[in-house]
Amino acid sequence: MIPAGKEENKVPLDILDNCGVMLIYLNAEQDIVFCNKKTERITGSKSEDIAGGDWRKILFRGNGGLIKQEMFKAVLDECVRHKREKDFEGIILDGSGKERIISWNFSPVVSEDGRVKGSLLTGHDVTRIREAANSVKSIDSTLKNIFFSLKDYALYVTNLEGNITYFSTGSEVMLGWKKKDVIFRHVDILHGGSGQMEGFSSILEEIGLSGRYEKEAALSPKTGKLIPVVLTVNKFFDSEKKHSGYIFVAKDITERRHLEYQAFQSEKMAALGLLSAGMAHEINNPLLVILGRCELLAKERLGRKERENLGLISSQAERIQKLVDRILKFSQKSKQVFEPVNINEAIEFIIPFARYSNLPDTRVDLVKDFEEGLPPVRGDLHQLQEVFLNLLINAYQSISKNGKIEITTRRGNGGFATVTVKDTGSGIPPEHLKDIFMPFFSTKTEGKGLGLSICYNIVKDHNGRIGLESRPGEGSVFTIELPFI
Amino acid sequence: MLYKVLVVDDETPVRDLLNDLLKREDCGVTTCASGEAALEELKKNPFDIVLLDIKLPGISGLEVLKNIRETNKELPVIMITGFGYNEDLINKSKEFGCSGYIGKNMPVAQIITTFKKIAQEVKSGKAGS
Repeated sequence: MIPAGKEENKVPLDILDNCGVMLIYLNAEQDIVFCNKKTERITGSKSEDIAGGDWRKILFRGNGGLIKQEMFKAVLDECVRHKREKDFEGIILDGSGKERIISWNFSPVVSEDGRVKGSLLTGHDVTRIREAANSVKSIDSTLKNIFFSLKDYALYVTNLEGNITYFSTGSEVMLGWKKKDVIFRHVDILHGGSGQMEGFSSILEEIGLSGRYEKEAALSPKTGKLIPVVLTVNKFFDSEKKHSGYIFVAKDITERRHLEYQAFQSEKMAALGLLSAGMAHEINNPLLVILGRCELLAKERLGRKERENLGLISSQAERIQKLVDRILKFSQKSKQVFEPVNINEAIEFIIPFARYSNLPDTRVDLVKDFEEGLPPVRGDLHQLQEVFLNLLINAYQSISKNGKIEITTRRGNGGFATVTVKDTGSGIPPEHLKDIFMPFFSTKTEGKGLGLSICYNIVKDHNGRIGLESRPGEGSVFTIELPFI
Repeated sequence: MLYKVLVVDDETPVRDLLNDLLKREDCGVTTCASGEAALEELKKNPFDIVLLDIKLPGISGLEVLKNIRETNKELPVIMITGFGYNEDLINKSKEFGCSGYIGKNMPVAQIITTFKKIAQEVKSGKAGS
């Protein structure tokens, strides 16, 4: 170490050597006059290098870190020029050439005549502190990225009172609420209400009993209908392991519910098919007898009245026969001929037939919006035409005043052709939506209630999907998706 | 007499109707109410054609057909059913060697026409085509 000053002004050097910070004194020419042991240790310099040495050589190993040197120099110059101390954080190169982060204080040493005669540099090595902070920052950012990526999950945290303190991007995506809408508001804006939703207090009760909460529940989005979720709530512990709130994780199960519903529907349809076939068989036998006997009687000599009655019996029995035929058609799979089907042409063909179905004294505009060059789907042309015809007939019959039907074909997602039939008709009340594809279910006064169930079965046989959205008084939109070849 | 027909159906009114309809067409008709009775009848008497209901109590119409075909490949057998036009049943009946298929949901006149058409084809050697 370089001794500082004359013997009489001796500084207690061992104190300076052991003060835990780098101490460097530069003269007016910015040459090193003095530095302590700590500086030597960090910079790996020897006494002979330091004496009268250039700080660049000591702190930056000659020409290393030019930009960092410039910054160092600029702050030092400013400190001298303004005769004012300066704090700044900079990087130097240590004895092994590694970067060290130093928190500096540069203080000008001013003589009695106001001249700057030197500068005292005090440097605190904060490399480890900064690295630790960066690593925390990195963990934090990783967690943020994880939460951000979990778009199928809503993740939010509340304090003990139930006020939301964290709301993930997945929550924003799923629920439509923005962070600013919900932060510090009570979580019951997502859970409150009755019926399917359990409020915060019920959740706390459950956690009190079993330590955690996990149930199928429903969350309330900013707009629209409730979202079915599997909701898990656990106690949230802060970094000091203190119970400071609750962490909520909700998985959207709309699609799962939909698939379960479809599977349930399919099973029900299969059971009904079996039942219908048996019933149709039992009806066909007596019908054959009635119609056969009518036929035989008609060959006899009968009075006018008797003949009229016989005709009536025959025609009514034939009516039953037609209904039974439709039931049989529903229950049986007739032989399908699968071939490439051009959806646009298939729909174009049936439109003239559907037009006859509009109710008396109504004017219905039919708007076609077909995507050109749609690839063919693999299907049974006649069955698919039956589906489109049924949907168009339903649309026409739902419009009692003037209205509009739009039939659209599009190249949908995932290799599916999408056909939508949208009408401005009477719509279907929500309580009927779940039954609309069931056989014998009809909202029309003169319907057999088989059309949509047949459509459902045909679309299912084509590995497609059929769906419906409807609002009473506004109209309905049927959507059919059929896979391309 | 045009044909000697064995009618097999478990329902009396259907049996009686087919009996009356076929007699009007100049056929000689014998009726049976079950598959077992039909097989017994076939052992005792010769027939030109059998009109056989598929759904029968005891052994089914398809089993009766299979049984007939084990000893008699030539006898024309027309299956008749209340299940209407059913691909599965038609295919199964063909597989077992039936000569034709009639749905009870057909108009009565058509049932008789179809019966006569199949019977004629069988007689002229085009059965099963």
